[in-house]
Order: sequence, then C-alpha cells, then structure tokens
Amino acid sequence: MHLALILLGAVVLAFVAMPLLIVVPMSFSTAVSLEFPPPGWWTGYYAAYFSDARWTTPTLNSLGIAAAVSVLTVLLVTPATFAVVRHRFVGKGLVNLALMLPLAVPHIVMAIGYYAFLADIRLLQTFPGIVLAHTALSVPLAFLVLSANLKGFDRGLERAALSLGATPARTFLHVTMPVLWPGFAAAALFAFVQSFDETVVALFISGRDTETLPRKMFDSIRTTADPVIAVVSTLLFAAVAVLVIAPVLWRAVSRRRSEARP
Amino acid sequence: MAPNGFSRRAALTLGGGVAAGLAAPPFRRVRAAEVLHVNTWGGIWERAAIKNLFEPFTRDTGVEIRPVSPVSFAKLAQQVRSGAYEFDVTTLGAGEIIRANQANLLEKLDNTDLVKNPPFLGAAFQNGASSHAFATVIAYQKAKYPNGGPQNWADFWNLQKFPGSRCMQRYAARILPIALVADGVPMDKLYPLDINRAFASLDKIKPAVRTWWTQGQQSQQLLRDGEIDCIALWHARTLELIDQNQPVEIVWNQAEIERAYWVVARGTPNRDNALRYLEASVKPERVAGFCRDSANGPLNPAAFNFLSEAEAARMPTAPAYRGKVFEQDILNFGGDVNAATQRFERWIGT
Amino acid sequence: MSASLAPARSSLRSWLLVAPLIVFLIAFFLVPLAQVAIMSVSDPEWGLGHYVEIATDGFHLRVLADTFLTALIVSLCCLLLGFPLAYAMAAAPPALAAAMMVVVTMSFWTSFLVRTYAWMVLLGSRGPVAHLFSWFGLTAPELLFTRFSSTVAMTHILLPYMVLSLYGVLKRIEPSLPRSAASLGAPPSSVIRHVVLPLAAPGIVNGLTLVFVLCLGFYVTPILLGSPREQMVAGVIGQQVEEFLAFGEASAMAVVLLASTLVVLGLYHRRFGLDRLWG
Repeated sequence: MHLALILLGAVVLAFVAMPLLIVVPMSFSTAVSLEFPPPGWWTGYYAAYFSDARWTTPTLNSLGIAAAVSVLTVLLVTPATFAVVRHRFVGKGLVNLALMLPLAVPHIVMAIGYYAFLADIRLLQTFPGIVLAHTALSVPLAFLVLSANLKGFDRGLERAALSLGATPARTFLHVTMPVLWPGFAAAALFAFVQSFDETVVALFISGRDTETLPRKMFDSIRTTADPVIAVVSTLLFAAVAVLVIAPVLWRAVSRRRSEARP
Repeated sequence: MAPNGFSRRAALTLGGGVAAGLAAPPFRRVRAAEVLHVNTWGGIWERAAIKNLFEPFTRDTGVEIRPVSPVSFAKLAQQVRSGAYEFDVTTLGAGEIIRANQANLLEKLDNTDLVKNPPFLGAAFQNGASSHAFATVIAYQKAKYPNGGPQNWADFWNLQKFPGSRCMQRYAARILPIALVADGVPMDKLYPLDINRAFASLDKIKPAVRTWWTQGQQSQQLLRDGEIDCIALWHARTLELIDQNQPVEIVWNQAEIERAYWVVARGTPNRDNALRYLEASVKPERVAGFCRDSANGPLNPAAFNFLSEAEAARMPTAPAYRGKVFEQDILNFGGDVNAATQRFERWIGT
Repeated sequence: MSASLAPARSSLRSWLLVAPLIVFLIAFFLVPLAQVAIMSVSDPEWGLGHYVEIATDGFHLRVLADTFLTALIVSLCCLLLGFPLAYAMAAAPPALAAAMMVVVTMSFWTSFLVRTYAWMVLLGSRGPVAHLFSWFGLTAPELLFTRFSSTVAMTHILLPYMVLSLYGVLKRIEPSLPRSAASLGAPPSSVIRHVVLPLAAPGIVNGLTLVFVLCLGFYVTPILLGSPREQMVAGVIGQQVEEFLAFGEASAMAVVLLASTLVVLGLYHRRFGLDRLWG
C-alpha cells in the first residue's frame, strides 16, 4: 500500500503539472482557437499580444493596481500585526477575527457588495475603487504572512538597541526592518499577486478605462478563445516560476555560502 | 496613492511606444479631444463598422470612436444605474430594445432628424436608429451530416433523424419564435407568441443543447472547434466561416430575420455626439458599406443604390429568400419580453 | 516597545496601531458587505420576499443543492488525489520532495483563469484527450460544458490547498513511527490505516474545509466550462445582477451563500480554531 500510494502520488503530480504545461506549446500554436496539438508553430500571437493595446493596457492597469494594493496593504497591516502579535489588549480576539474575515467571504458576495457600494460613492470603474476593494481582500494573507515572520523574530535584538539608547523609530529602521524585510516583501508579494489575479470582483467593478488583465482574459476566453490567452498564460506562468523557484535557489545558494564560511 | 496617474503615465511610455505605434489602426492615432465609445460585436462586424461607420464619422466631426466589446445588454442597464459608462452607443435587437425602453435605459430621439425629418420610413423605432437586418440561421458541420443536415427548425429539433449536439443563443425573444416554428406553427401565424407552447417545444431539444452562446465570436469558435454539430447563429458569422473554408453548411430556409438598432445610453455625458453618430450611421452610403463588409441587410432603402446585385444577394433581405424566411414582430410579442427572458434564464438553469 | 507599561495605556497604544486597518476594513469591507444584507431585504421593496422565494420556488433550492453536491464531490476528489501526492512528497528524499513542492506551489500560484483555460484546451473536442480516444478508435464523448469538465477543473484548481494541508501534517508525523509499528509486525496497509491516517486527520479536516468553502463560492470555472443546466450559486448571483439588475434577489442568494460558508467555518472554528485553517 505504501508503494501503491507513492505511485498514485506520481500520477497525481502529472495531473497537477499537465494543464500548466499545455499552455506553453499552445502559445506558439497557429491554431485559431482551442486546437491541440497545434497545427503549426509561430510566435505570431506573442506579437499580437505585445502590439495590441487591448491587451497591453489591461496588463499595465493590473500591474499598477496590484502595486498600489501591495503598498497600501503593507502600510495598513504592518502596525496592526505588531500590535496583535506583541501586545495583549482588550478586544484582541475580535480584531484577529476581523482581519481574517475577508478570507471567509466568497468573492461573488463582495463583488455585488462593492458594485453597489462603489456606485453609491461614485468610485465604480475607477482605479481608486478597485485598489480599495483589492486591498481589503488582501489584508488576511498579508497579515498571516507578516505575523508568521514576526512571531519568529528575536526581540532581544530590539531590547539591546533600545537599552543602548536608540529611539524606537531608529530601532525599527535599523534593527527590526533589516531582519524582517523578507516578511514585508512576502506580505507585499502576496497582496500584489492576490490583486493581480483577482477576477470575480474585478469583473463587476472594473470598467472600460480600468479594465484589468483577468477581466480581459475572461472576456477573451468567452468570445474568441484564441491562443493570445495562452501567451498571457505562459507569461504569467513564467512569472510564477521565477517567483517560486528563485527563493528555493536563493536559499540553497545562501546555505552553501554560509557553510563555506568558517 | 495615485494609481490613476501613474498607470496612465506608464501606459503613455510603454503602451504608447509599443502598442500605438506598431499595429494600431490609423483611427487610433487621431488624438481628438472628444471620444465616443461604441459597443461592438467584435470580429467581422467590428471591422466593417470601423471602416464604414466610425472612420467617416471621425473624419467629419473630429470625434474619435473607440470600439468596446463584448456586447452586453446587462452593461447598458448597469451603467445607467451606476452612472459609470462603458459605452455611449450600442446596438440592440428588437427584444432588447423593448426591454430597454421598459427600463428607461435609452436617450429619446425626439429632437434628432431621425424623428423630425426622417431620412426613410421607420428610420427611428423605439428610440433606436434602424440600422440593418440580420438573420438567425441553421448551420451544421458537413462532416457530421455527410448526407445533408437539418433543413428547417423541425429538423433542428429532430434528434432522432439528426443526432448530435446543439447550440443556440441565450436570447429569449429570438429563440421562442424559433421554438414555435419547430413545433409546427406556420411562419406567418407566429405572433402573438404562444409562450407556453414555445417552452414546451424547447423542453424537447434541451437535453441536446450543450451550451448557449452569448457572443458572436463565441458561436463561431464553438462551430470551428467542432464542439457543436448543429447551431443556430447569425448568417454573417456563418458566411465568414465558410469564406475561411471551414467545413460548415448554412441553411437559409426559415431564417429568422430581425432588425438591429443603434441606441444611445441614457444619461451619457457624450449624449450630443452620440446622437450625431446615430444620425450619421444610417446615411445610405455608410450603411451600404457596413452591410457590404458585414453581409447584413441595410434598413435604409437608399443604401441599395450603393450595392451591386451580387452583394445584395448575400444579405438576408435579398429577394431570393422572400417567402422562405420570417421576420420578428416584437410589438406583437404576446407577453412581457422581460418576464419571458427571466423565465427563459431559469429554464436554462434547471 | 517595552512590556512594562500599564495595561490600560498599552491597550490604548495597541488600538492606535490597529485602528487604521480596522477603520479601513469597516469602511471598505464591512459596509459593502452590510449593503448586501440590506439589499436582500430592501430591493426593490422592504420585506423577506426574496428569502421566501428562495425557500419555496424550487429553482433556488435546486441550485443550492447542486452547489453543495458539487462542493462535496470536489472536496472528496481532492482528498482522494491529494492524499497519495502528499504522502509521496512526505516519503520522498528531500531534493525530490522539494521539486514536487515546486510543481504544487506553481499550480497554487497560477491564476484560476489560466488553469480553466488549460482545461478548455485539454477537454475540447479538438484537444489531446479527444485525440487519445481516436487513437484507440473510439469516439470521444462530449467533455466540455458538462458536470465532468467543471468538476475536473475545480478539483485541479483546489487540489494544491489539499496537498499543502496534508503535507504539513504528514511531514510532521515522526518518520520512524510507521516503521516501528511495522517492525512490531503490523502489515503496511494497517500501518497506514491505523497510524498514519489518524495522525493526518487534522490535515484532512483542514483540507476538506478549505476546499469545500472555496468551492461553494466558485464563479469563473463553472461559467466558462460547466454545464448550463447545473449552475452554481455564484453564477446565478452574478447573472441576476448582470442580466436583470435584480440586486435584491442576488443579495438574498449571496446572504444564503455567505451563511453556508460561515456555518462550515464556524463548525471548524469551534473544534479547531480558525487561525489554524490558513496556517
């Protein structure tokens, strides 16, 4: 049974990987829509993607929105996480629950909520409206990542700096930040990706001039289903590959370097 | 936080260099102060509209027109409610124009020349500018039916004689009359519709309907990819596939003719330009060009002065099809179009 | 940041740190959410009409039942597929386990839309699966736009959540424990059944809860490749808003969906504590 499970596991791994891999050859296909294996090969759909403002504009919109979301999320979440992780205070349990709530509400529910809400305050189909909504949805993940990092932080370092006469601000800047920056970076990244990928809410609240990439992809899958979607998918997939593999490699390299040191 | 500012700047540097310069059609380079957003059906339809309707309008007025897709009746309703506009102008079929007026979604045309000084009889209908006629026809995969496929709607409904998957448009006002024709109602005695009978007829074909298309390009993709054996779609989309050598057959018999109208979304800040666009869009030479390239039938009779007989023969309004086709009579629908649409949507989902 | 301050002052300072975020969430999360609840009883007129309709008209109950059934099936499929994979990862040598982890993580991070599109290519009638059938001389069944296609795609999309949940616990199970049980004479299958499974139970519950809850609210995938006859709640909600601007009806369905989600999460919370779920 042990062996059978492992063999089955290998099959499941193929099941996990296969759909990811198929978009790559598909993006070099000459097919008009969903034909596989490709009838011929070319890079024409890459040219089509990069030269068509109807694709590049949503891409830039999404990048901009996600960047703003990650900054805003980290700015809001950082002080709160410090308080929740380090202090005991009245109402902490409630705060903890409130920070996790956006993760528990299905996005379609928030989509209609934001749709009505943003229309009322005249922010529907605007960049600020999308950034606000995505920031709220990004809070829980950023909080989880940051608090996990903060829990592992050795507070003796801060105490030492404070006892040596450093101000709390200087301590934060010169002691806390240098140690915790991977945590901040990870929190910002989670917020970025969450916003960049978010589809359902964006379908309802983004608009003509604020179209996001997922919305464009959704429309495109529903209408032409042409391989430009495979091009975008391949590019996204490559970005994910870099994000996932880079830290693994980096850790391996830095481990080797630290081992090399006496 | 100024995502608006920075992304626009980014779009100018990056998008401006890469995108606009390379392959954007010339109309995009007109940096007019005013912009009109027009909702289009994409594909062949959009190309025909850009060349024959949008570009001439921009030349005359300096107002840039940007196409927006996909077409969505829902968006029209949403934007009037929310005040955030995706498009200023769109086209509606007969069923939708009734629903749109019920919900007060359209700008009135009373002060335009379409009403005050109509260029042709029926130029304005229900706050829409009469543009063109199109047809919903049967199309099928030749490979699936080598001995000929369904020749009328009763055949389309006949799953024993013509087994295979079906697909139709998710559009109640267009599908209910077809369901009645399939059930044996004579084409000239359809209206007012017996809506219950139409649903009973639809029940019979439901198991074979794999999916319901909503976008013109989607109907083509389903047919091209062989996902669907037999489909009810627009004639122009079918002709385009045939022109691309797809192994697809078109059946003109019992085609359902319907009119399309240009309308202006109520409350749009670009109302004046939008109304000017409507007046310009029914000019005979323009609508003739649009119809020539998109294989639709012009509703302005003067347009035929600009069309050859061969060109007119591809259109659903051609004399050759008279008697074989039937037309929608939406004012005599036989019930509330909106209620029928709600019922249709539920029926699909169960 | 010393801990020697009086509790009251410390509480105040903590609240000052938390306040911006809490205010933000109230303004831009709770208010929109409350608006959904209000619309469900006020649009187009005040009353519980939409809820009565949901409970009585058959259509909505059917959609809800379909949604729960789908979520259940997808959760079980994820467990059946996820367990062997997590088990293999836990048993693999570190380098191989890391490589497998990369694959799972990449799937996890790849957009829902990309994976949905990939399944459209895979299951299309001109796709590789159909070709496989024809190599064996069989006609491929219709795969797209069926309950099968949406179930497969949703399983694939949610599988990483299950695998990551299970891997966490399986990895923590003392590797020598099954071996020592085996050395006492237990056959391997009973080791897995009596030693590994009970120890992995928290991970299983975790994974099932996550997948079930996420699946309940699924919108994009069923719309793009599911059957039009088997709609999920989220799709119906979106359609009511988009097609008919029926905010009241859509909101009432949304409240029911939210309540179902919260009930599942609440049960989990009472038993295990919510903060463990996404840990």
